[in-house]
Amino acid sequence: MITQMQVKGLMFDPSNNAYIVVLRDEEHSEMLPIWVGKSEAGAISMALENVTPPRPMTHDFMKSLLDVYDAKVISVVITDLSEHTYFAKIHLMYEDSEYTVDARPSDALAIALRSNAPIFANDSVITKQSSDELQQWLENLKPEDFGKLDS
Amino acid sequence: MSIIDIPKEQDLVEYRVDRILEEANTDTRIVVLARQDAALDTFPIWVGAAEGHAIKLALDTMITPRPMSHDLIKSFAEHLNITLQRVVITDVKSSTYYATVYVSNKGIERTIDARPSDAISLALRAPCPIYITQDVLKRRSTTNLDAWLAKLDSKPIGTPEVQET
Repeated sequence: MITQMQVKGLMFDPSNNAYIVVLRDEEHSEMLPIWVGKSEAGAISMALENVTPPRPMTHDFMKSLLDVYDAKVISVVITDLSEHTYFAKIHLMYEDSEYTVDARPSDALAIALRSNAPIFANDSVITKQSSDELQQWLENLKPEDFGKLDS
Repeated sequence: MSIIDIPKEQDLVEYRVDRILEEANTDTRIVVLARQDAALDTFPIWVGAAEGHAIKLALDTMITPRPMSHDLIKSFAEHLNITLQRVVITDVKSSTYYATVYVSNKGIERTIDARPSDAISLALRAPCPIYITQDVLKRRSTTNLDAWLAKLDSKPIGTPEVQET
């Protein structure tokens, strides 16, 4: 089973100098935090805030490559979590055929947000990640904490 | 991103990536391109740290456990049968270089506007040749000096990613 998720925000995690992308399902009953690096977070935040950079960033280029040949991102799925690494797949449609491409979640999210494609997570991933402590910490965060990326 | 205007062969000079240098003062890297033929000439391009890292991974033919962003672009191209033909550094404006990536699929060639760092990262992974136009080569020397000085003068000009190309 897969659940559709929305990117709810991006936070800085000072404990390991990384960023956390927070995904939630529509009923807000599930939460999936994904740790990403700084430049990956930048690529996601630009799409979240609808910023058009003066020069195409890597994922803008990626989108252009698909656009020039009329290929579409149908959906992206966070498929697995193993040893603290998340795995994702990007589903493409091109000339009536579907293609599945293996990707890091950060790239999958960055391209999904630029293509307005839905984001899904395997239920097994959502269950696996739920360390209660983390859940609590995230739930105690105030909405203001889900601010913009300040760097 | 449109149907193209291929620069004439004689207008293009082929370069290869020679090395990546760390810029001590700023958090940037210098990609040093060297002429593919015997002529002694190097062409430095300043890029952000992350962009420099992406190029270095390809230069050292490092295999990362997970596909990095440019590996994913390559993977898209492979799945859709798109060939990366060549990348060309086409322009320089206010110390910013512009690049074009030439791609083709079933004989249909397209061009995509790119930052030189992305273009070079992809060229190394494809692999495909890297060219610089004669026009850019002619106009570069003072531009490079300007860029160098500007970067020394004012460290935090914003994110290197945007500032870079």
